[in-house]
Amino acid sequence: MIAGHFGLAAAVKAKATDTPLWALMLASQWLDVVFVPLLVAGVERLEPVQGAKPGAYGGAIIHADYTHSLVGALVLSALFGALFLGRYGRRSAVVLGLVAFSHWLLDLPLHRADMPILPGGGGGLPKLGFGLWEVPAASAALELVVVVAGAVLYWRAASAVAGGDAAMKTRARICGAAVLAAGLLTLTLNLLGM
Amino acid sequence: MSFILGVVLFVGVIGWLDAKLPWPIARAGRR
Repeated sequence: MIAGHFGLAAAVKAKATDTPLWALMLASQWLDVVFVPLLVAGVERLEPVQGAKPGAYGGAIIHADYTHSLVGALVLSALFGALFLGRYGRRSAVVLGLVAFSHWLLDLPLHRADMPILPGGGGGLPKLGFGLWEVPAASAALELVVVVAGAVLYWRAASAVAGGDAAMKTRARICGAAVLAAGLLTLTLNLLGM
Repeated sequence: MSFILGVVLFVGVIGWLDAKLPWPIARAGRR
């Protein structure tokens, strides 16, 4: 899931209006942001499922045993929130930490039982994931719902904060449309395996 | 590609556009 995480961040912005959108968006992808260099370094890896092309939507077992382990995700999320404590205060730091951890929660129904509890996958504990990616249409529909709902909630909040100022209202419409368009574009490219 | 494009669009472009809206801004120490 990529676009769905952005959709959730947009929805959160509608409620946590004093937390910057860019930080919420970054929080929503924080676990994957850390995952990328570990993937390049070979510490974490992608294993295409049988018959799937590399990069296919939901077509991989993701051995992200540190970034996407339950404990690892909790630690990374807490660190992310703490990064913003001094600048935006406790409330926003907590919101950003929770949005960062929402990445793990949203991944849980989609992943194919490849998310360990402990970093490194040790302890003989079961790996988690409900495997909705085995039905790509269902997982794509779930992402689409989150993207559209998040964009609508964000659009409404942006319009409200713009007040009666015509220029601000136009800017709010542009922002709302951009959130929806970027979400749909990201989801489409992901579905195409790009 | 979709991941990198998504981060660039949402964190960079849309984050920059959104920052020009009159949202309240959280500050450390403010109640």
